[in-house]
Amino acid sequence: MNVIETSGLGKSYGRVPALRDCTLTVPAGRAAALVGPNGAGKSTLMNILVGLTVPTAGTAAVLGGQPAGSPAALDGTGFVAQDAPVYKSLSCADMLHLTGNLNRRFDQQYAQARLAELGIPLKKKAGKLSGGQQAQLALTLALARRPRLLILDEPLAALDPLARQDLLGTVMTAMADDGVSVLLSSHALAELERVADYFIVLASGEVRLAGDADDLLAGHRMLTGPAAEADLIARQQSIVQVRRAAAQAHVLVRTSGPAEPVPPGWEAHPVGLEELILAYLRAPGGAAQPGPAAAPRPEPTEVAR
Amino acid sequence: MTVRTLPAQPSQEAGMAPLPWRRMVWVTWRQHRATLVSVPAVVAVVALFLLLMGLKVHHDYAALAACHGAGAALCEHRASALTSTDWTMANTVLILMNLAPALIGAFAGAPVLGRELETGTFRYAWTQGFGRVRSTLARIVLIAIVLATVSGALGELFAWFFGPPMRNTGMSVGEATVFVTRGLAFPAWTLAAFTIGVFLGMLIRRVIPALAVTLGAYLALDLLAWLVVRKFYLPELAPGRIVLLQRLPAVPHFWPAQFIEAGWLLALSALLVAATLGLVRHRVA
Amino acid sequence: MTIDKGISAAGAGAAGSPASGGDAGGGPPDGTRARGAPSPIEYRLDPASGVPTYLQLVQQVEHALRLGYLKPGDQLPKVRDVVAALTINPNTVLKAYKELETKGLAAGRPGQGTFVQATLTQVALPELTGLRRSLLGWLASAEETGLDEDGIVALFTSVLRDFYDRRGGADRHARGEVRADSEGAA
Repeated sequence: MNVIETSGLGKSYGRVPALRDCTLTVPAGRAAALVGPNGAGKSTLMNILVGLTVPTAGTAAVLGGQPAGSPAALDGTGFVAQDAPVYKSLSCADMLHLTGNLNRRFDQQYAQARLAELGIPLKKKAGKLSGGQQAQLALTLALARRPRLLILDEPLAALDPLARQDLLGTVMTAMADDGVSVLLSSHALAELERVADYFIVLASGEVRLAGDADDLLAGHRMLTGPAAEADLIARQQSIVQVRRAAAQAHVLVRTSGPAEPVPPGWEAHPVGLEELILAYLRAPGGAAQPGPAAAPRPEPTEVAR
Repeated sequence: MTVRTLPAQPSQEAGMAPLPWRRMVWVTWRQHRATLVSVPAVVAVVALFLLLMGLKVHHDYAALAACHGAGAALCEHRASALTSTDWTMANTVLILMNLAPALIGAFAGAPVLGRELETGTFRYAWTQGFGRVRSTLARIVLIAIVLATVSGALGELFAWFFGPPMRNTGMSVGEATVFVTRGLAFPAWTLAAFTIGVFLGMLIRRVIPALAVTLGAYLALDLLAWLVVRKFYLPELAPGRIVLLQRLPAVPHFWPAQFIEAGWLLALSALLVAATLGLVRHRVA
Repeated sequence: MTIDKGISAAGAGAAGSPASGGDAGGGPPDGTRARGAPSPIEYRLDPASGVPTYLQLVQQVEHALRLGYLKPGDQLPKVRDVVAALTINPNTVLKAYKELETKGLAAGRPGQGTFVQATLTQVALPELTGLRRSLLGWLASAEETGLDEDGIVALFTSVLRDFYDRRGGADRHARGEVRADSEGAA
């Protein structure tokens, strides 16, 4: 089942396109990281997936083809918006009761036990909780609904390192326990590498790169060789980025696998995830679809020293 | 280690029948407890005032009417001293009653959706299993019922309170300022103000600005009714001045006029609710 | 959340004691432990090593097997527990366990967990001594040609990679000993 499926998805506010031509296919059982700079369209995409925003072009579906925002979609999707909004004047117990009333499934026992585990008193007003506690409360409410898809918009942004660990731990444990699929956005890449196994790179409203972490890594490599031959290589290969100095150049290329022959005089090295994502973020108008060799050739970027 | 107590179930269970409306009763109560408690509380205080002063007013005007015979002039002189202060106070209350729907409506209506949008809690409230259009409709209707009941009762109590002064000065129930404070008109104006507040709260997405614009919009609507609409079903009376000294006959078609006024106000309210729900469906974020 | 001090497979030498719970390491050789007894080992991650997470887990299991902390029949740490302790993706743990299954070292029992199936062949001491001696000889000649330590490491890892590439283990090594040797090989 594809837990997220969009086709040509676009959203414009008046003339301003926040999202354009986004086509994604995220299989179930993954923790997908949505990365990109501020203003890339991450929140817009998530809002569309939970039905808060209506797209101006294309379609979006979740949980195996349920239209985004439909009752079936909302029923199976747990969402925590940026800054983990809760009703500040309500107690935690009230928030639990509220969420229970507003949903088909609600595991009251789990929610209460979880809050107890976290040391969050039920009688305390939600507005009086610390940032980390509020985030955990919002996450508990979402998980207690037993969703098949959990969407988190910048869940780590306002949290200290310990709170981040705790939150990610909760999410990963939920994945292990229930097989819930996760989509979380962040503009901090380092933390996501350990946690996410699917990456979607968004910049200026476009999907630059999307796929399983393993496929992305297997599908790229860095060729290092003489700067003089860099242009030749650029013509022969599907390149993403070229970095050249006086004598040496590094060319990030797409590859069909480690068996693909290396040009003579050049060396091939594997690429790290962060390096790969940054390269795609810098490449204008580039888009790589999941799966090898299906990508249109983008304009590569040149970085000269 | 926290263990799940419910087995995982597919999302297409139970044929996806919509969640029962009654769940929204507690939700609305808890989310709007401040409004649902404070408005009836304020109205209760006013009602107590009307009750106590009303007894006095009735007593004073009865005393005036009971002046006969030999010492009539002196009796009337003494009684009028009381009734004229009563009249001043009653007039003040009349003005306040004319303002009341606007105030109730604005303060109750603007925060309903305005606060959700202003604080961002709509991103929680409208991504739950209970769809956002249905839950918004339930909240609006439930609060409206409370407001209609409370304002209806207040209108009746004021009508009783204002009776003697009104009869004494010959004011007509067809007089606009009186007409709107009783019967069906008073709760209808309250609901209209409420739905204006709810709609503007959704449109403007901030509570205080929505509140201000609601008061302005209500004033505009009031003027429109006064100058244009009422001419169709309420006979021309002398231009609405609070203090009216002429003797005029009672309006023979009071209740039909009340039904017409309440009718178009409720139609307008329904239209505003529909417009609000349309915005909730299509223009959330 | 603290990470318990378990076996540090990445550390050099120092053999910590098995994690608490269950017997104190005794029991019959085929390791019949009570069902539901926790795993004898715990994992830790070395984020700076450049080795992919799943491989680190695989290596730690193999290391534990070699040192005798794990015996056939022992249960590997439950996916859930690993995830909760290390805050990693459960698919990573599953991938590691699948790799161990492929190698024949572990087997999953549905609903129960993953259990150790075999031991790693322990190379006998005389053979180890022989290999050690020939390696020392090779190192001496390498030094004579002028290679320094880094050069020796680079050469060795490059040849090692070629050796296994030819054997078809390309996948494992292409992403295994990653950046450290790319630096040396450049």
